[in-house]
Amino acid sequence: MIPLEWYLALAAVLFSIGAYGILVERNGLKVLMCLEILLNAANINLVAFSRENLMGQEFALFSIAIAACEVAVGLALLIMLFRYMDTIDLETFNILRW
Amino acid sequence: MVGPITLILLVLLTGAVITLLTRTREQARVVALISSGIGLLIAIKMYLTYVGGAGMQFTESVSWIPSLGIGYNVGVDGIGLPMVILATLISFLCVIYAWGEGNRPNQFFGLVLLMDMALVGVFASLDFFLFYIFWELTLIPMFFLIGIWGGPRKHYAAIKFLIYTHVASVAMMLAIFAMYYFNGAATGTYTFDMVYLLDAYSKGVVSISPLWINLILGGMLFGFMVKMPAVPFHTWLPDAHVEAPTVGSILLAAVLLKMGGYGLFRVIIPLMANPDASTVFVLVIAIFGVVSILFSTFVALAQKDLKKLVAYSSIGHMGYISLGVAGAVAFGASEVPRILAETGAMYQMFSHGIITAVLFGSVGVIQHATGTRIIDDLGGLTKHMPKLAFIMLAGFLASLGLPGMSGFVAEFAILTGSFSQIPIFVLLAMFGIVFVAAYHLWAIQRALFGPYNEHLGDIHDIAIYELIPLAILVALIIALGTPNPICSHLFAEVMQPTATHILSMLPQGGLL
Amino acid sequence: MAWIDYAYWIALLPLIGFVLELFIGKYTYKRGGLFANLAILGSTIIALGTLMDVLGGARIDVSVPWFYDGIVVGYLIDPLAIVMLCMVSFVSLMIHLYALGYMEEDPDKSLYFAETSLFTCGMLGLVLSNNLLQLFIFWELVGLCSYLLIGFWWYKPEAAAAGKKAFLTTRVGDVLFLAGIILLYFNVSHLPEPLSFRYIFSFEVLETIPPAHLTAIALLFLGGAVGKSSQFPLHVWIPDAMEGPTTVSALIHAATMVTAGIYLVARTYPIFMASPNALVVVAVLGGFTALFAATLGLVVNDIKRVLAYSTISQLGYMLCMLGVGSIIGAFAVGYSLFHLISHAFFKALLFLCAGAVLHGLANARDLREMGGLLKKMPVTGIAMLIGALSLSGFPLTAGFFSKDRIIETAYEYGAATGNFLPWIFILVAALLTAIYTFRLWFMAFTGEPRSYLAEHAHEASKIMTTPLIVLATFALFFGLAQSRFYEFVGANFDSHLIEELAHLGGYHFHEAHAVPFIVMILPAICAIGGIGIAYGIWYNSRVDLSKYISKDNPIYKVLWNKYYLDYIFKDLIAERLFGFVALLAEAFDKYIIDGVVNAISWIVIKIGSVLRKVQTGVVETYATAVVIGVVLLIMLIGGVL
Repeated sequence: MIPLEWYLALAAVLFSIGAYGILVERNGLKVLMCLEILLNAANINLVAFSRENLMGQEFALFSIAIAACEVAVGLALLIMLFRYMDTIDLETFNILRW
Repeated sequence: MVGPITLILLVLLTGAVITLLTRTREQARVVALISSGIGLLIAIKMYLTYVGGAGMQFTESVSWIPSLGIGYNVGVDGIGLPMVILATLISFLCVIYAWGEGNRPNQFFGLVLLMDMALVGVFASLDFFLFYIFWELTLIPMFFLIGIWGGPRKHYAAIKFLIYTHVASVAMMLAIFAMYYFNGAATGTYTFDMVYLLDAYSKGVVSISPLWINLILGGMLFGFMVKMPAVPFHTWLPDAHVEAPTVGSILLAAVLLKMGGYGLFRVIIPLMANPDASTVFVLVIAIFGVVSILFSTFVALAQKDLKKLVAYSSIGHMGYISLGVAGAVAFGASEVPRILAETGAMYQMFSHGIITAVLFGSVGVIQHATGTRIIDDLGGLTKHMPKLAFIMLAGFLASLGLPGMSGFVAEFAILTGSFSQIPIFVLLAMFGIVFVAAYHLWAIQRALFGPYNEHLGDIHDIAIYELIPLAILVALIIALGTPNPICSHLFAEVMQPTATHILSMLPQGGLL
Repeated sequence: MAWIDYAYWIALLPLIGFVLELFIGKYTYKRGGLFANLAILGSTIIALGTLMDVLGGARIDVSVPWFYDGIVVGYLIDPLAIVMLCMVSFVSLMIHLYALGYMEEDPDKSLYFAETSLFTCGMLGLVLSNNLLQLFIFWELVGLCSYLLIGFWWYKPEAAAAGKKAFLTTRVGDVLFLAGIILLYFNVSHLPEPLSFRYIFSFEVLETIPPAHLTAIALLFLGGAVGKSSQFPLHVWIPDAMEGPTTVSALIHAATMVTAGIYLVARTYPIFMASPNALVVVAVLGGFTALFAATLGLVVNDIKRVLAYSTISQLGYMLCMLGVGSIIGAFAVGYSLFHLISHAFFKALLFLCAGAVLHGLANARDLREMGGLLKKMPVTGIAMLIGALSLSGFPLTAGFFSKDRIIETAYEYGAATGNFLPWIFILVAALLTAIYTFRLWFMAFTGEPRSYLAEHAHEASKIMTTPLIVLATFALFFGLAQSRFYEFVGANFDSHLIEELAHLGGYHFHEAHAVPFIVMILPAICAIGGIGIAYGIWYNSRVDLSKYISKDNPIYKVLWNKYYLDYIFKDLIAERLFGFVALLAEAFDKYIIDGVVNAISWIVIKIGSVLRKVQTGVVETYATAVVIGVVLLIMLIGGVL
């Protein structure tokens, strides 16, 4: 049996990649993809811990469904933004600051 | 079967929602009239079936959030019940008074009803959490009443009102949480139950450091003193009054301010009974009272705006409540004057509510008819507005404490009762009486008497829907100021047992 | 059943009259006046019936509890109360009858009768009160009616201002009175009814009150009386109060309301007796006011104001009598009340005559515009002559008997205590009274008419002259009731009790000495001499006054400016000093208190405007902050930090 730590390490690596992507990327599509990676990192953790009971797997399924919704909404937003501004560079969307 | 208090709340809430949904002025005001009328009738029914005594009556208790010890506990005693009646009565009369309101009538009447409900909730809550919710809920209708229907500087006034009183509420909320936490930590039962908590703190069964009990007391006092308002926390009031529509002013002065006074009786006195609480608070309250009375009087002398003058008179009258409370809790050898002072302060709560409503109501009529409230621009209004002159004169005389009117009974009781305990403060307060009379009579003389100011043109007298509520209030003022069963019953049967009960929480002889 | 059991209706009937008159008065016979007159007629009948009962020895004192333990309302009938009740209701009836004619043309006639009816209710209720709180309530009620009636012609700026002045000046006294009540309550709150006279007026109770407190209470009550009875220095409101209708001046500012202060001192006489030094103040203050007001009466030209100053002066006599009564005890109340009642008759008469003159002269009030009126209005002229004789204390009129007794007692007081000040004051005042009263009469009724109005004056109608004749009869012959009256009212307080209390207050009673003959006839000499002087100056013109009457004459100037008291009170104190304080308070409120509030909000806004720069609008910056925060949290929880 693969030790729990390995799963956790994998999840941590994925999480870090996702977080890094969110922080440095300006392209909205890439940021959205990085968000998915973050979610999946969490899912791996949930599944990894579910060897005691199956609750974790339930949660993982749940969060996959939510991730799907989120991507649908996110992509829709990006398409709308692209139509208005002809770009999905997030730096240009700063009109909500002071 | 729901109890009467819940019934009032439900009727008013339903009425508010329906009124908001109506389309025409006719529908809005009829619905508002009916629902506020039902609220008033239930309140009067409660008063008639109220059994003289100290404890809470018409209590209802439903568990709400049991894990946090929050419950829907309501009930009234000899101070809560008159306040509930005051709130429902004034709101009902306000609906009549505003019968001609043409600007967004459905929202206007809906907010009045919502205000009514929130106020009843404050005065009937027996759970601190519920109390706080209703307390904050009163801000919202008033904010919109000022902000939408107000005068030229309505936005400034509305924001100032909201933020200032909200800051005070936060202090009160922190004090509530502290009470909740220390009681839970000491006894293991975490509860917001007002009666239970106050009982526990007044007997000192909760072990709490003097620092914390004084912080709690100070936070509560700050919350209530801003609401009353006491000088120097009063500056939101004149601004709010000057900008608010007349009905807003009436509700604000007649009922909203009473929340602060109510807090003194319900919360502050029991907390002061705690053995670790500092007795300095007696002096603090007395000083707040006297400074409010004297300072507001002199500021009122310099006012040119009739409504601002009335607003400052409110501050002075609320000062009497502080003075009476201080006189009641201060040390005195005999119980007799202390109970007199306490009951007088309670009586002042009701009395000032009905008197100030007449004042703001008549000033509103003047503004409506002439378009100005600046005293120097008025003059000789009696010529065209004899009925208004009669009502306004009655109101102003009541406000300056003329015997035979309710204000005198209250002020006499407060001054006479407090004299034994805090003579210096009473004498200082009496010093102000002449000046109170001075600014009232000055305003009357300039506005109503003398030659008519022809610049005002041809003005019409008070409308019938404005006259009726004010006349009812004047009748009530006289009924509560002359020897008759209504006055004696309210004072001796309803308020006095509660006052006695509240004072009995204090150590024998009082504090200080 | 006896009349006395229904005595409370004496005060209630005018109240009913007020309500009816207010709401339906103007729809009735001649637009008002009917209900008020009927109600007061009823009061008068009951009062007279009750008087018979009280003369037969009946007394009553009933209390009903009010809002607090020991706070009661009730009514009390004893000799002191009943003579006042009879006088007030009777004089009020006369004046109401007269007003039917006097106010006939007024558009607000029903309102006028409503207000005077309410006033009568207040005055009768004040007299009936058996406790201090109720007395205070009625005390303020009559003050209110006085305010309303002075300002009855509200469209006249002077009337509105005079009403306010009257209310505020008496309010100063009222606050003192209230303070006295509170101080008394503080000392006797253990009694079953702390403010009821029957409980307070006992040796055991008054003995327990510290003497300093007793004196303070008595002086505070005196303060109330000074305000209401318009004594120095709070007398300034009465002359202005003459702006009201003349019937109001007669009813309120001459015959009844202003005597409330005297009644208060008489009613609480046991407290005064028990208070060290209080009665000395009463005697000197009363005497001083009598003289002070008489000097002012010499120079004014307004017919009503002359009478107003004479009222102040005569009230000073009554107060002085109560003060010098410290050497004779309970009988002082009788002496003082006798003057009060005879004064009510002749002063009401004088004012009603003045009203008739005004009526005939289209409201001209200046004496210099009158003259020769006796031929035009003989009834009024003769009636006024009777009133003037009585006021001056001409032998055998009512005023002579009542005033003579006061001056004699003041002399005895001087002989007993060495303090002749009150006697000198009131003796000189008696001389001056005769002079200014007859100055008024001679200027108005004799000589040649000095204006168009005076030439075309006309006699008043029957309904106005009838009350004049009735009152004139009383002003002439009331003196006959003298000794019976003294016995009756003098026995109001238990003389034994008063004696004990006098011991408490440190006063000593003296047996009446034989007063020297010259002292006995001095008052009569003063009266006749004064009339003679007035005759010489204003009828015969033997002395030319015009060279003295000028603004260059300092004495005249001081008198003309009323000793500058009006200026000091109104301009200096009320307007300058307190106006300045008010402006100061207003500025403090606006700039300091509200300034702090606004400063706090300004600071918060400034801080916010700096901090909001953090909000860059770039999502990555926020995300970076989140990640750093999370990392820090993890390290914190993991124990790394």
